[in-house]
Amino acid sequence: MSTQYTILFKQEHAHDDAIWTAAWGRSAADGSETIVTGSLDDMVKVWKWSDEKLELQWTLEGHQLGVVSVDISHNGAIAASSSLDAHIRLWDLESGKQIKSIDAGPVDAWSVAFSPDSKYIATGSHHGKVNIFGVESSKKEYSLDTRGKFILSIAYSPDGKYLASGAIDGIINIFDIATGKLLHTLEGHAMPIRSLTFSPDSQLLVTASDDGYIKIYDVQHANLAATLSGHGSWVLNVAFSPDDTHFVSSSSDKSVKVWDASSRACINTFFDHQDQVWSVKYNNTGSKIISAGDDRAIHIYDCPV
Amino acid sequence: MLFQNKSIGIKVFFFSFVCLFYRMASFGWKRKIGEKVSKSSVQQFEADTEKDKDAGAAPDEEEVDWLHAIKRRREILLEDCAEKSRRLKDEGTLLAEQGRHWEAIKKWDEAIQLTPDNPLLYEMKSQVLTILHEVFPAVKAAEMAVKFRPLWWEGWQTLGRAQLNLGEVDMAVRSFQIGIHLRPSERSLWDEDLKWAWTLQKQQAATKEKMRQEEETKNQILNAPELERDYDFESDEVLAACVAVAERQNHYEELRKTTVIIDAEGNIQNMLSQEEKSGESAESSHQQLVKVRGL
Repeated sequence: MSTQYTILFKQEHAHDDAIWTAAWGRSAADGSETIVTGSLDDMVKVWKWSDEKLELQWTLEGHQLGVVSVDISHNGAIAASSSLDAHIRLWDLESGKQIKSIDAGPVDAWSVAFSPDSKYIATGSHHGKVNIFGVESSKKEYSLDTRGKFILSIAYSPDGKYLASGAIDGIINIFDIATGKLLHTLEGHAMPIRSLTFSPDSQLLVTASDDGYIKIYDVQHANLAATLSGHGSWVLNVAFSPDDTHFVSSSSDKSVKVWDASSRACINTFFDHQDQVWSVKYNNTGSKIISAGDDRAIHIYDCPV
Repeated sequence: MLFQNKSIGIKVFFFSFVCLFYRMASFGWKRKIGEKVSKSSVQQFEADTEKDKDAGAAPDEEEVDWLHAIKRRREILLEDCAEKSRRLKDEGTLLAEQGRHWEAIKKWDEAIQLTPDNPLLYEMKSQVLTILHEVFPAVKAAEMAVKFRPLWWEGWQTLGRAQLNLGEVDMAVRSFQIGIHLRPSERSLWDEDLKWAWTLQKQQAATKEKMRQEEETKNQILNAPELERDYDFESDEVLAACVAVAERQNHYEELRKTTVIIDAEGNIQNMLSQEEKSGESAESSHQQLVKVRGL
């Protein structure tokens, strides 16, 4: 239980090339903490986080091109990964075996996100459609059409009501999952939206864009609540802490910034990476942050609780 | 190769269009001043300026502000460099458009001397060097472009194409992937660049694997594991061993006869060379068997 933000652990040379994506999960069975990373070196790696150390558990081979996105199911048992080879693969984290490989069709698998009940995986497509695949069936169950451009980022609201997508032209769409209806279209940014995330109470949506800004929206009324500046280049990833009080962002300017959700001020900046930071996530208690990027390193930070 | 030239043509066209637009824009801006500002206010402004000059001249004569004078001079010099570099860039673009590629490169090299961190200059130079089949310098120039602007997908595309021309297929696949990761909506990166480079990479891997198999089989023929033990010459084991050796020789022969090819859909196959006839191969395998028995 620290009282200030500090870097706790560095795993240098975690992959053979740039790390593009990372996820942090917790096993419902034994409470162990698992980190999954995906890289331009075509590999998905599974790490165990225990005793303040990172230990490589599995190196998952299968993707033939760079791994763009990874996510872990909410019970911590399955990981999903998507790659430039247009396949989504599902992995058993216990055994390190591939469960399934889904051919998503050319350029139809960018970011992947598990639904809150972990029965579905959502992924964006080239033509502005959000495709929803069943985890059991490994087939496309249905799709939500934004009628827009390439979808870079996707997020489910934790209450399971909404799905938000961010497009390459800066448009944000919010769907009602129960009816499949498009609720709101927000023209928040003029540049690609690399990442978006809901707050744990599903009230706020935070977006990150190449324009260097982070925006906060009130989901119910689709109001812009705040625009935050601070990063000197593209904002590549945002993640909310599970206790609703903070969120964290990473950028091409090589920094990781922690923001206070109520005052909307940047309260800490980590300048520990040598190159752009593609991914940043909280663990399930909000006591740790992971970041990874082009310098092939994984960093774990301690947060005051 | 064809699509590369075509798209370079498009890019060069685009540059010239930008230049034209730039000129048009500046022309329009100049014209706007004359039109929008009324004559009386211009006169008023000019009179005010005269007054300011008179008022400001007096203290300057007494004391020269050397510090600011030097600073201003340096700023002017920097502006000069940027302006001159831009002019040289435009001149080079026009030359490249007319197919005078070496002259274009000379202009751009001069521009690079003035503004050594401008990624556009390196990127254009790389494209023209590719046209001139200067494959290695083209890679070097594109590497400078992505070094100075790592988030620019077009720099990575040009680097990938230059690497492909050099035969560095793995590096090209990597560059195209980085380009796509920065701008996934760019269809040319998917449909032309990555698809083709990835096919070549798979072909290269298949060829390597076949060579490895060939080598391994050859080694096994030379040092057959069946010959390492003693046999009871009356038993069937001898025959089985001979058959195994013969089969291996046959396999080796087949490997040598086939070549790795890619069909129209990009699938990779091992194909038998055309002059081969099935009857002939049966006969040769028979000969092989006889030879093994003689061992």
